[in-house]
Amino acid sequence: MAHPSQLGFQDAASPVMEELLHFHDHTLMIVFLISTLVLYIIVAMVTTKLTNKFILDSQEIEIIWTLLPAMILILIALPSLRILYLMDEINDPHLTIKAMGHQWYWSYEYTDYEDLGFDSYMVPTQDLNPGQFRLLETDHRMVIPVDSPIRVLVSADDVLHSWAVPSLGIKMDAVPGRLNQTAFITSRPGVFYGQCSEICGANHSFMPIVVEAVPLEHFENWSSLMLEDA
Amino acid sequence: MLATRALSHIGKRAISTSVCVRGGHGVAKVEDYTLPPYFDRREVPLPDVAYVQQLTPEQKSLKEKEKGSWAALSNEEKLALYRISFKDSFAEMNQGTGEWKSVVGGIMFFMGFTGLVVLWQRKYVYGPVPHTFDKLYKEQELQRMLDMRINPIEGFSAKWDYENKQWKK
Repeated sequence: MAHPSQLGFQDAASPVMEELLHFHDHTLMIVFLISTLVLYIIVAMVTTKLTNKFILDSQEIEIIWTLLPAMILILIALPSLRILYLMDEINDPHLTIKAMGHQWYWSYEYTDYEDLGFDSYMVPTQDLNPGQFRLLETDHRMVIPVDSPIRVLVSADDVLHSWAVPSLGIKMDAVPGRLNQTAFITSRPGVFYGQCSEICGANHSFMPIVVEAVPLEHFENWSSLMLEDA
Repeated sequence: MLATRALSHIGKRAISTSVCVRGGHGVAKVEDYTLPPYFDRREVPLPDVAYVQQLTPEQKSLKEKEKGSWAALSNEEKLALYRISFKDSFAEMNQGTGEWKSVVGGIMFFMGFTGLVVLWQRKYVYGPVPHTFDKLYKEQELQRMLDMRINPIEGFSAKWDYENKQWKK
């Protein structure tokens, strides 16, 4: 989750998010350089004492300010495409989970081995335990084994939703009648929060997502317990 | 004149004053926009016309003297000749107006007014914040974030010294 007054990204919990962080650093630096240059030029234009209005023809600078932006764009596009294809790699998931968006909660189905399904509602503010995070906690978390490739199939039961977990670098629209696939590996154990990212009605802001990455034995214990409860 | 009287019911400003001029009744000032104007601009230093068009007799005699050697002109005469051809000197036309002070003052005034509006809203419009903003609750939240190792790499928990139970220096 974000800490108070945080401006940047949350720490990455998956390799893809790490790549995205570094790409963002690279691109933002280029953007800052360009913005500084433009701001300098604006200030120079406004404060200049020069008055020649009849300058014509400037082939050299035209060549420079055509080629240089093209090279900068290539410098941005190459890492971007690299990450795009990286995300598209064929992976071999250990687990497939279906995340279904409803108005206004998520439901998760673990149907690889047994038929495990449960709903995940936000904990209302007045029911929070001391120290729990307002508008982020859910009654049931999506528990997954750490360091394992997970496939998530995202869909919706009624209207558009979007399943997003920033620290994993994931956002996938939940479209009724459509299965969208995304995959990730958590590189460290922990609890990762996200919120519904497509407007879906009155309680769109109140259907968060909580992913809990635990060692495999803990995951197996948890799924046995959940199956008993069901 | 007839036209202005006839159309006065839609407003006297509907007809321009040039109609009156053509009527031959004489107007104090006529602007004929087809003639080149005088202007003071830094980037076009020599306008097409001189500033003073109708010369007084002293100015006319000065203009005659200008046809001779310029070394014979005194400083005041040179200045007078300049002021015949030009209205402002470069220093005068380039000086700032001080308008920026009004602009900055206006900005600060409206920002202050907005602040007053915000304060009023907070007192009279908004309800209380949720209980999760209480000091004790925030401390419990903070402890829970550290226990859960939220953002442990470079972010939040990375800045906490778990050995000595304090923020890293």
